[in-house]
Amino acid sequence: MHLFSLQWKESFRAAQWEAKMTIKIIIGIVSLYFLGSFLFIGSIVYPALNKTILEREPLEVFNSVLLLFFFAELIIRFFFQQLPVTNIQSLILLPFKKRQIINHVILRSVFSPFNLVPFFIYLPFAISMYKDDYLATQVLAWWLALLMTTLSLNFLLYIINKNNAFFVALLLLLAGTIALDLYAGVDLGKTVGIPFNAVVKNRDYLFGFLALLFGMYAVLFFFLKKGFYLDAGLGKKRTRISGGEFAVLNFLGDDALILRNDLRMIVRNVRPRQIALMSFLFLFYGLMFFTQDIYRDMEYVMVFAGIFVTGGFTMTFGNYVPAWDSSYYKLLMTQNISYKKYVLSKWNLMAFVTGVSAGLAIPYVYFGWDILAIIIAGAFFNIGLNTWVTLFGGLLNKTPMKLNVKAKAFENTQGFSITQFALIIPKMVLPVLLYWLPSFFISPTAGFITLAGSGIVAIILKDKIANLATKLYKKQKYETIEAFNK
Amino acid sequence: MIQLENLSKKYEEATVLNLASLHIKRGEHFGLVGNNGAGKTTLFSLLLDLIRPSSGKVSINEIEVAKSEAWKKDTAAFIDDAFLIDYLTPEEYFAFVAKLRKVSTNELDVFLAQFDEFFNGEVLAQKKYIRDFSKGNQKKVGLAAAFIGKPAVVILDEPFANLDPSSQIRLKKFLANEQNRDCTLLISSHDLNHVTDVCDRIVLLEKGNIIKDTPKSPKTLKELEAYFSGE
Repeated sequence: MHLFSLQWKESFRAAQWEAKMTIKIIIGIVSLYFLGSFLFIGSIVYPALNKTILEREPLEVFNSVLLLFFFAELIIRFFFQQLPVTNIQSLILLPFKKRQIINHVILRSVFSPFNLVPFFIYLPFAISMYKDDYLATQVLAWWLALLMTTLSLNFLLYIINKNNAFFVALLLLLAGTIALDLYAGVDLGKTVGIPFNAVVKNRDYLFGFLALLFGMYAVLFFFLKKGFYLDAGLGKKRTRISGGEFAVLNFLGDDALILRNDLRMIVRNVRPRQIALMSFLFLFYGLMFFTQDIYRDMEYVMVFAGIFVTGGFTMTFGNYVPAWDSSYYKLLMTQNISYKKYVLSKWNLMAFVTGVSAGLAIPYVYFGWDILAIIIAGAFFNIGLNTWVTLFGGLLNKTPMKLNVKAKAFENTQGFSITQFALIIPKMVLPVLLYWLPSFFISPTAGFITLAGSGIVAIILKDKIANLATKLYKKQKYETIEAFNK
Repeated sequence: MIQLENLSKKYEEATVLNLASLHIKRGEHFGLVGNNGAGKTTLFSLLLDLIRPSSGKVSINEIEVAKSEAWKKDTAAFIDDAFLIDYLTPEEYFAFVAKLRKVSTNELDVFLAQFDEFFNGEVLAQKKYIRDFSKGNQKKVGLAAAFIGKPAVVILDEPFANLDPSSQIRLKKFLANEQNRDCTLLISSHDLNHVTDVCDRIVLLEKGNIIKDTPKSPKTLKELEAYFSGE
């Protein structure tokens, strides 16, 4: 209980808590919307199944698609669920038992909107079951089984988020089971449905679900306990020097100075390395769309995909632009370097990587010249405009960045929140409109010209935009320094 | 060289600094003393335009710091860890600062040679990143870097803290030397001995106000000790 009151104070006394509150309220509204939709789905499914699939019990049908629910839930949780963070450094020496702190952190993860799913999807379904002709005890057993499964998923997610080995193992398991489904003819959905069918017939099977829940809890508990020491701070772990001069950049002269530093930062720190890797994966994003014939005629989907192919780095790196430098921001603010130079050097880095990505994207020509044209036009847009939009978004991001912190059990390193997600939307809608409108009313060539042209115009006006951005940075200077000082 | 007019800093109702006027001459070694919360770091942060003043203005070399960035050319500082780039080696960090201050590689080598004793063989050629150094050696890196390119104004917050006794004495020797080249030096310290050794003007702050502003004399240390012991 005591720990919860600390938590309460931490959130109310946090820096910029008003801003964080607003975000939380927006997230709350969005969640309410989704929960409402789930409620709706939950209440219409049972009657719908009754009418359409007569030869099977609706419950069995529903149970056989539960696997899909679980997959979807895991994926959504993986990207959106913020795991609880507790500052253990200050608690570790106080007279709290280690067990207490760990249990507290785990329990807090239970208080997440994601764990309301059983109440909003499964409960209405359960009520329909009861109205049909199931016994109250049967319905309750079925619902409890699902509740415990959801909580088990909650703990499972916590584990895979903090442990890459688990994550990889789970992916392999997933691939393996899908392969079984496809090639060995095992109906996975049905298999997963079996225990849920069984629990309706015999309540004793609930103990199995209970065992699963406690098993997950125990694994998570021991996993967190293992990572409980501040070994990073206490141990003498020396990193070997890697990457250094990037002498290739010398031809850029003075501009290369910060660029070289940024490259060193990316190579030598865990967080930026993760981001760089992620942006590389974006290069393959197009494969998801260009390979599917159904998207072939949906130009807006093509533009969307095209923007992502070259824009991965800009959008992921740029989102954290002053924050990358948060640990030495005061130095940059007092050294002999102008704001404009600073802003432009970040722009150069993003433009450079986008250009390289466009080069690497050339093989997409395999899917047709029009696809390549969209990717190239998207690259122009990314270099000209998306860079600045992202830089602007990054400026609003005032959380100091711990560069060299690995995904540790007690730190939230997901770095992918709904706020940032919301910023991506205008970045995506604008280029789609720029391409699709002229393409729809005139011709695809006109769409290409407008999209690429908007980027080229912005590149020509780079200096003017940089001045504007510099002004914005200056305006935010004191607030940014103060926030990074925390 | 440095001019402050009606400078104040308030957080909500609390006034943490309130200076009617302060003028620091070129080449002056200016020492700032005061207990915790006296406003020393606030003053330095205002000089470097790191926080927004509630009123008044600061000029370095006739340039108002909040209006223009030109003062950054001749000013250097080491206030805290946020002045170090911890994923660089000391050599790379020095080179980075030197490039910003338009100092050539050769000049940098000559400059660093005078720190041989101060570094005590523990800073250069260690093949490790600044983040893997001890606090004391990190401090040495930051202090040395602040003097790269012979800046006209150098601001150091607590330069002696975290240093071992030998390093403190070597640092004092170096700072005394800097006076010969007309460097305006501002340091704050809790160590009254060191600050009176190094500085020729001592300003005592308390709760954001100047209590005492005197040129150093043989009596200064005694007077300061008397003040801080509450006599």
